[in-house]
This record gives sequence, structure tokens and C-alpha cells, in this order.
Amino acid sequence: MKRTLTLVALLACATPLLLAQTPANLYGRSATGTHGVVAAAKPDASQVGVNILKAGGNAVDAAIATGFALGVLEPNATGIGGGGFMIVRLANMKEAVVIDFREIAPKASTPDMYKFDEKGNVIGNATNVGGLASGTPGEVAGLLYAFEHYGSGKISRAQMLQPAIDWATKGYKCTANMSSYIKDHFDTIKKFPACAAIYLNKDGLPIEPGEIIKNPDLARTLKLVAQKGRAAIYTGDIAKEIAAEVQKEGGLITVEDLANYKIEVRKPVMGTYRGYTIMSVPPASSGGTHLVELLNILENYDMKAIGFGTPAHAHLWSESLKLVFADRAKYMADTAFVKVPLAGLTSKPYAKMLSTKISMDKSMASVTAGDPSKYESGSTTSFSVMDSKGNMVAVTKTINDFFGSGVLIPGRGFIMNNEMDDFVARPGSANSVQAGKRPLSSISPTLVLDPQGRSFLTVGSPGGPRIWPTVAQIISNVIDYGMPLQDAIDAPRYFQMASGNLNVEGRVSLNTFNKLGPLGHTMTTRDDWDLYFGGAQAVMFDYKTKTLVGAADPRRDGQAAGF
Amino acid sequence: MNLRFLPTALFLGAAITAAAQGYNLKAPFASKPAFLTSVGQSADTEMVKVLMDRAKLPFKADGKVKPADLAASGARTLVLAIGGSSKGLGAAGVSADAELERAKAVIAVARKQGMKIIGLHVGGDGRRGELSDKFIVAAVPQCDYVIVVASGNKDNLFNKLLAGKATLDTVDKITKAGEPLAKAFIN
Repeated sequence: MKRTLTLVALLACATPLLLAQTPANLYGRSATGTHGVVAAAKPDASQVGVNILKAGGNAVDAAIATGFALGVLEPNATGIGGGGFMIVRLANMKEAVVIDFREIAPKASTPDMYKFDEKGNVIGNATNVGGLASGTPGEVAGLLYAFEHYGSGKISRAQMLQPAIDWATKGYKCTANMSSYIKDHFDTIKKFPACAAIYLNKDGLPIEPGEIIKNPDLARTLKLVAQKGRAAIYTGDIAKEIAAEVQKEGGLITVEDLANYKIEVRKPVMGTYRGYTIMSVPPASSGGTHLVELLNILENYDMKAIGFGTPAHAHLWSESLKLVFADRAKYMADTAFVKVPLAGLTSKPYAKMLSTKISMDKSMASVTAGDPSKYESGSTTSFSVMDSKGNMVAVTKTINDFFGSGVLIPGRGFIMNNEMDDFVARPGSANSVQAGKRPLSSISPTLVLDPQGRSFLTVGSPGGPRIWPTVAQIISNVIDYGMPLQDAIDAPRYFQMASGNLNVEGRVSLNTFNKLGPLGHTMTTRDDWDLYFGGAQAVMFDYKTKTLVGAADPRRDGQAAGF
Repeated sequence: MNLRFLPTALFLGAAITAAAQGYNLKAPFASKPAFLTSVGQSADTEMVKVLMDRAKLPFKADGKVKPADLAASGARTLVLAIGGSSKGLGAAGVSADAELERAKAVIAVARKQGMKIIGLHVGGDGRRGELSDKFIVAAVPQCDYVIVVASGNKDNLFNKLLAGKATLDTVDKITKAGEPLAKAFIN
């Protein structure tokens, strides 16, 4: 009997995990809890965070443990060789803090470091694949800084890292999504034997769904991080090996670049939306600034009257995004190198002025002749944590493209980023390559306080330039339309840049779709549940029921966990 | 042994082995050498290349081959790696429509030259959807033999497109697509 009950319990626990492996499966994505909720792109990673909360950790401890676990469980998107941004607000803090652990261009980088062929393509795809694509990674420095400064102090570094070490040692089942990512990036992976040894099978073909991915080298690396902290990666043997391997593959990172890597602790970009406070990430991410700018434009409209999913709704998002993307192309870059008019971009009067350019009867022609900026890929991960005290964390981190540069440090198990592709590869742009500069990002982990000033929502998404438009749509879905959080994430999305087609997810209503053409839009119809639009994870505090609600994106393997 | 009967013996041997493995293809029919190209510019072409290398098949490969170049290649069998990829199309600098036109033209040349055509869809359900299905619908009915990884044919689209006019074999993993592919070729 006891054995039967155990089996039933195991099946009950396993079912949501298995279901979550099916793309667009809507079951089991959300979770509730009264003590804490973690929403990550992998169910096992969410559970890692919940277990840390159960062990007495706070939301930051849980987030950092989840972050390291994602480096094992979602290594295609994130890991020690990458970087990202995090926003933290402990309940007792007056103001949130942003930790910028974005990658940095190596000291030997120059604006003209990439060469072009006669068609204008970067020779050898060097901004994307191989050593020259990698910036100095910030992941371990950023995650450990947050853990040391904002963690509860009740969880040791070894305790926090142990779940990631365990997953790397025992391995995990390859999901359908993961297998398809390996297939999509097969040509990159097979170029680098150390990467192929982990993500291809003995026949040199992609690991299939259900097969086990193990990474004992990464487990050993994480054990060293547990013992030595950031020094394990940024000085000593691993730093030498990173520099040697990246240089062997044509790159520029040196041991000095690694030793000199510094995170930046920044003040958040602040805004309001219908009485709610918005806190997000400032440059070197454009995301938070443009999120606030976009919401400021929308605030000039009665979204409830416009209605969700109507032609006017899609049209308004399209027109607002055109205006904001035009600003992004013109102004945005790393503020350490370029003056960016942040106050103006986030001001309500400026947004009011922009809104007057929008006609609800006719789509604008291209707001600019074309957007010269390069934009990062959608191959990122984002997760959110909130605990019962109202401590909130949102983290978005990445190695840029799935499987990054493809360069995996032999014997160490982690893939180097290809974040240099987020610079403009030619000289002359605000976002051109420069030694020590952070490439422009759209990453926008965001915290929202309710009109009473209480912790309300943490949200973030991958998706390259779709990140902040996606985050804005989720915030609008919750605040304007009162959607439950999972519905707000599931809802079909739109995306529009300063010029080009309006991208609509396949589930947009047929009537809306048909009426957008006469307004002057040309549409690109994406899949019904399309990763193109990101993979958001969020946690919300429902004060009526005193319950934390987590929601995760079915467009990827997301699943929340709570207790 | 009388060598006159060797080809027949090998043919029968391969046919018997194929039947024993449970494949629908009962006998080799494709001549060597082969030419591998993409229909949709996905990375699946690289995977099919691995399968063909492992099977020691003589072949040339060009994911973007033009009809005239195929005609001049001397190939006797055209192998198609079917499945669309936005990333791949972007990297190749072609639109989906242009790729579709190229694929149709390449298939037409292969037919005109009397080549056999083998289609492989190895990307599973991740290589289905609006973009990939365009290429599948265009290419699969033109094939003499199709091998599909099962998760890519949950809706029996490949059976419907072939309508019994050509042989379809289903394998559960990419790795297993190599065997029926090899068996399709006359030694």
C-alpha cells in the first residue's frame, strides 16, 4: 500500500513536468503559494528555487539558485559564459536596485574588428560564431554579487549551488523544445568538438527528446565556484582556459579582461502606469527605458474601451511600437560611452506628444527609413521570484543566441556567449564596438508596485527586441484588462518595429486580422504559440487571497512552482 | 561464384534485409551518386549529410544548388532535406517564396533528367508549422521515397501527401533514418 501511494505521489509530481515538455501545452504552467513562488523557463529550475525558499532562503537566494540551475538545465540560453541584468527589491528597500552583469567588449576590441565581404556580410559570421563573438562574461560575478549583498545570509554558497551541481552530475531529460534548439543550431554545435560532445549523440546527431543530457565537467566547475566564489572563474586556471580557448577560436578575451570584469549596480528606470509603479532596467539595456516610454504612450488611451484583441488594440500597439523603436535606433547605447536622453524618453509629456502622431484610422508609414541597429536574438531566459515578505527579483540572462558562440571551454562544460553580435559591427554608430563597452540590449526584467506601493508583479522575458514590448503587453493585460497572470502571458502578442510588417501571433482573431489590412498594415502571421514573441515568466501578489501566483510561458518549457 | 548473378543477389539481399527491418521500402531503387540539397534551408541538411556520410554513400551537397548545377552534377538521385527555418533562410539571404521556387525548379530538373528523388524530414514536430509545411507540401508529393521522423508526422500529413503513390517509412529518431536511406540505394 505504502509503495502504491509513493508511486501515485511520484506520478502526480512527474505529470506536470512531463506535460510541460510539450510545446504549447497549457496545463500546469502556473503555480500558487503563500510562502514563495518561482517562475522559470524549466520546471526543475523553478523547483530548485522553491526548495531554497523552504530551506529558509529569501527571494534573492532562490533566484540565484534558480539562475545557476538554469545554466545547467537550459544551457542553450544561459550559463557561466554569459551575462544579464537583474532587478531586486527587498521589502525593506526604498528603491529597487539593478545589477548589470552584461558582457563587456574585450580590451583589444576595436570598432573595425569585423571584416565584411562584398555583399556586406561579416566574414566568417564572426560576430555570431567562434571566439571573436564573445564578450567577457558577467554571469558568475553578477549572480554572486546579488547573493552576497541581498541574500538572506541563511543559505551558504555551497548550499545554493548544490542543486545545479546535482543536475549537471545526474543529467536531465532532453525536452522536445531543447532537442529542436539543438537541431536548429546543429551547424554551430558540430563545429566545436567540446560542444558537440555534450549536445550531439555518439553518431554526431542531435540528442533526441527523452534522452539524458549530462555535464559532469560543468558540475566540477560549479563545485569550484562553490568553494572559491567568483575567483574560480575570473582568476586562476579557468580564466586562463577561457582566454586560451577563446583566442584559439580567433577571439580577444584575455586573463586581464576576466580579472578586470566589473558588474555595475544601477538605479532602476522608473515610471508609472495608471497608478502602478514600474521599475526596470536602464542602459546598457534599452528595455526598461522603452518599456516606460511605451506604457506612457498607451496611458493616453482608454484601453478598456478599446478592448483586448480588437483591431484598434492591435493597431495602437503597432503604432506605439513604431514610435518607440524609432527612438531606440536614434538614441540608445551604453550610457558610459554615449549620452542618452533618458529623462526625456521616459517623460509623460514626451509620450503625450508622441501619441498625437498616432491616427486610429490609418497606419503610419515607416517612422524612420530603416532601423540601422542590430538587435539581440531571442535566445535568452528570464525568471521571476517573489516571497511572502514581498521581496521581489526578476532576472533575465543570456549567452545571446542559443548555444552562444558555440565555443565550449573544454573540461569546464560551459558555452561562451556571442554577445558581440549585439554591437553594430561597423564603426560610426552609438552602439559600435569599443573596448570595455557593453553591447546594447533589450533585456527588461521589471518590477511593479501597486497603487498602494506594495510589491505587486515581477516579470521578464527573452525575445531580443520583442522583450520590452512583450513585458508591456503582459503588464497591460493585467492592469488594463484584469487578466489572471497566466492568461496575461498566454494572450496572443503583437510586434512591430519602426518599419516593416506587423507581426501577429496566429491566435489573433480572424476579424481583427482582416480589419488590420484596411488600416494600412501588412501582417506577418507567426505560429499560434511562437517563441519569437518571447517566453515570459512572472509572479504576482494577489492581496485579496494573500496568495502569490506564478505563471510561465507555454511558448517554451516554462513552469512555475510555489509553496 | 558466377559474378553475373552478383547484382541480383545483392539486390535480393538488400530487399530481404529491408523487409526484415520492417521498412515499407522493399527494394533498393535509387542509383548512385546522389545529390543532397535543402528544401527550406534548415540545419536538417547538415544532419542528412551526416547520415549519408555514415552510410558511405557517394554524394555531392549544396543546400542552395541551382537547377543548372544539379543538371550538370552527374547525380542520379536527388536527396531532399525538407523543412523550413527562418534562421536558415535569413542566413542564406533568401525569402521563403524564393526558396520554394528554387526547390520546385530543382525537382523539375531532377525529374526531367530521370533522377530518383528521396525526401527526408528529420526535424520532427519542431520542423512543422506554417513555414515548414509550405516546403513539405511542395516537395513530398514529388518524391519516390520519403523517410520521416515520427514526431513530424503525427497528423499523417506525409501519408496524405503521398496518397500511396510513393513509399513512406517512419523512424522514431534521426539516427535511425540512415538505415532505410542506405537501403534505398542500389549497391
